[in-house]
Amino acid sequence: MLIFSVFKTLTDQQVTVELKNDLSITGVLKSVDQFLNIRLDNITVLDEARHPHMMAVKNCFIRGSVVRYVQLPAEHVDTQLLEDATRREAQNQIKR
Amino acid sequence: MSFFGFEERTLEREKNRRVEQDEDLAVYTWGEESYDGLGDALQEEHDELNDETFGDVGKVGKDFDFASANPAVQPISKSFFLKNLLAAQAISLESIWDDRSPFSMRLNGSGRSSLQPRGDSPAQHRQQSGIRTLQEIESEMQALLRERQQQLLQQKQREEEEFLRQEEEREFQRQRLLYQQEQAQIQRQQQLHAHQHRTPPPRMLPVSQSPRFMEHQQRQILLLQQQQEQQQLLRLQQLQEQLRVEELERQLRSQHISTIPPDPDMEALQHQQLQHQLRHRSLPLEDGLPYLPHKLAQAEFLRDMQGLPQADQEALRVEAMRKILEAEKMEEKRRRKAAKIAHMSRYNDLMTQSDKDFITRIQVSQLVSQDPYADDFYAQVYGAIVRSRMGLGADDERVLKFGASGGVALGAPSKGGNRRPNAMQRMQQQVERIVSNARKREEEKGLHSLHSLQGALGKTSGRSYKAAPRQLLQVDSGAAPSASPTLSHAQPHAHISKSDSISNSHSDAAATHAARLGRETLGNGSSEDLVRMEPLTQREILVTLENMYDLVLNVEQLRRDPASSRGRRRVFWSNGESNEFDRLVDQMWSHLKVMLPLATSTPHPFISLLSAAKGKKILPRVTRHFDQQRMNTLLTLLIACFSQLDTQAFLSSVLQSILPIIVKGNLRLVCGLVGLLMHGQDIVAIAKSRPGLALLTLFLTRVEVMRQGEVDEIPTQEDFAQWQLMFDHLFQLLTPEFPLLFPSTRMAAHLPRDQPHINIPGIDSLDQPVWQFLAALAVQASSTQHQILVSSLREKVLDNVLSAKKGWVVDEEERTTKLANVDLFLHALGLDSSQITM
Repeated sequence: MLIFSVFKTLTDQQVTVELKNDLSITGVLKSVDQFLNIRLDNITVLDEARHPHMMAVKNCFIRGSVVRYVQLPAEHVDTQLLEDATRREAQNQIKR
Repeated sequence: MSFFGFEERTLEREKNRRVEQDEDLAVYTWGEESYDGLGDALQEEHDELNDETFGDVGKVGKDFDFASANPAVQPISKSFFLKNLLAAQAISLESIWDDRSPFSMRLNGSGRSSLQPRGDSPAQHRQQSGIRTLQEIESEMQALLRERQQQLLQQKQREEEEFLRQEEEREFQRQRLLYQQEQAQIQRQQQLHAHQHRTPPPRMLPVSQSPRFMEHQQRQILLLQQQQEQQQLLRLQQLQEQLRVEELERQLRSQHISTIPPDPDMEALQHQQLQHQLRHRSLPLEDGLPYLPHKLAQAEFLRDMQGLPQADQEALRVEAMRKILEAEKMEEKRRRKAAKIAHMSRYNDLMTQSDKDFITRIQVSQLVSQDPYADDFYAQVYGAIVRSRMGLGADDERVLKFGASGGVALGAPSKGGNRRPNAMQRMQQQVERIVSNARKREEEKGLHSLHSLQGALGKTSGRSYKAAPRQLLQVDSGAAPSASPTLSHAQPHAHISKSDSISNSHSDAAATHAARLGRETLGNGSSEDLVRMEPLTQREILVTLENMYDLVLNVEQLRRDPASSRGRRRVFWSNGESNEFDRLVDQMWSHLKVMLPLATSTPHPFISLLSAAKGKKILPRVTRHFDQQRMNTLLTLLIACFSQLDTQAFLSSVLQSILPIIVKGNLRLVCGLVGLLMHGQDIVAIAKSRPGLALLTLFLTRVEVMRQGEVDEIPTQEDFAQWQLMFDHLFQLLTPEFPLLFPSTRMAAHLPRDQPHINIPGIDSLDQPVWQFLAALAVQASSTQHQILVSSLREKVLDNVLSAKKGWVVDEEERTTKLANVDLFLHALGLDSSQITM
């Protein structure tokens, strides 16, 4: 749930989602759910010439399982807090 | 049977033609399987009474057969086409023969002052002189045609008017084009609708067969049709109204412009000419309607422009046209939008509320967890930080709680308030209901009911450790080195894998160390039984730091979120919590290993901890919870081991946490710390390092502040005497090194001899802390010390002033920096760079 929690704080921020089919979509993160499905608004695709079918698409829903990477805006991620959250998660893991 | 001798063949042909023209005609399905059999219900008998009902009309002529009539009667075809047009537009037939029909109005208006019969249109004649035969009309029209040729000369007198009309024609053309596009658009939409209504999308088929769906669809279609009809009717009526007004005004205008009093015959003639022109331009007469919006606009602008000059009229006309086009565009847009909404709303209400609830229930059941706050830690704390940064209260938690355990984490609140607050409440209520329902069911069915929903919508990755890659290396834990010697617990930290370990200590030594450590932690440590140890290994450092982090997290959690254990925030902690807090802080203190004797190892374990990046990072978070006494101890250790510190990250992280202590410290403390710096450490080397210099400057300024008496605790004379001794000692140690304190001087030594004045960019800003330190030194120095300072720094000062004044600088900024640096020092001596002359 850690990554889900992080993504929740990134709504309305610009992110770049790299898909497993090498498509790279930049857009405003509108919502994310526990499967890490992602809804993007106002999207642009990297290398539009190679993906002309995406030119007219303005928003999209991405199934979480097809995502390879998500590039987060560094200024909207609290790295220290993220470290803490990771440690807490590891702590919880030991407890269980 | 045939009515009135109508030839069925012609009728059939006509029908076929119309079917070809218009595909939208209803298709009847006689003889096919889907035929509903209504035809069988027709009454075919009792035709013998038809004559009685309809009257015996005898022989029927051919004068109604307009299609085969000779071309001379063309004016009549206008109304015929109009009829066709209006019928196609699904307008009730009354409106065609209605007085207000656009063309009858137009003709009426123009012939209002005339008493003579004219051959314009049958509608006209019907109104003016009742029923007349077609032959009469025809002959009249032909007579008028001849008359017109005679009067062609007179036409020139009305050239102004004609010009205006031609203008009109041009606009008319444009309008016609627009209208055709619009019509095409509408037709396309209608076809689309018809198509959609006929064939629902394949994936919808199971649902579309349900009676609810069909009923819904039909209702939609009906509604849509009604709306369209009403819109068209309304539009037409408006146009007619506008036309009437416009025609009146045209009359007024023509009377106004024309030099000759308007002759009614002339008027009639003009209309004929106009119609003639229309035909010659091969305009289909269906275009009578699109003509209207344009006239509408013309009427509007004519009303405004009576008596205006020609140029203004032109401008107004253009303006009016623009407005019309805009209005048309808007209308088009609105229509498209409405069509789209109607298109999308086809699937409205396909899912019932209980369907939706079911989905929500499954989704929410996976979100509910035992500790919503911990599971959503990042979002919760991030939200709190953001809120506190924005100056909002950080009290409200974004967690839905259900009873004693479980809940749903809501994450950070949406920014900008774009969501209505009651939507959140509704969600809360719904989730509560869902969860309580789930509870009940669980109780009823036993433990398995909730698990049945598990994974119903797919598998969630859940906690990241579940999704972690499969472990490929299986290392036997017995073979790895046993627990690290200096750890207070035997179990290595979970975050550090054993392969990191480079511990080279032996297990028997570990036992001794552990025992000693225990004693020292309890305060029993003494120098007699000092056990020298190897410095901490990298692994030990990391393990210790991770334990520190766990403690810090717990402490911070305790401080940040007392609500989680008590429900409501209170200022004072109860005894139990205070104890818990103290226990955690004590643990942190012992983990920091500050209390180990100085000589335990080189570097000291505490310094070793600070060598790691995460050690430097955690220090401010740890020291925040320590009291004054512990901080003093820590500071003392830090100063005593200053030369062991790696200085890179000192300024950014470590200094930040010790700064408040020094700023608050009394003279005795400062005195002791400076003494520590000089004791057994290379003070010159420290002074040459940036953090060392910063620390010394900090001490000097702190003492200066105390000398000014701006502190609560005024130092005693003895303290000052003690400090003076310390200061003199420091001054004496540093005296031979004053010029070498400057990075620029040290760098110049490495430069080629023949270019001593080479400029290194940014060197002056590097020198600045040194000038600051020297200024702080000069402020407290005696006059003899002043002389020493000036004589040893004379060259450096002159060098800077010279290059600034002679312009041996790259830019203005460098010059001012040089001068400002020198002045910083000179002002402390009571001098100024402007006093130096070359």
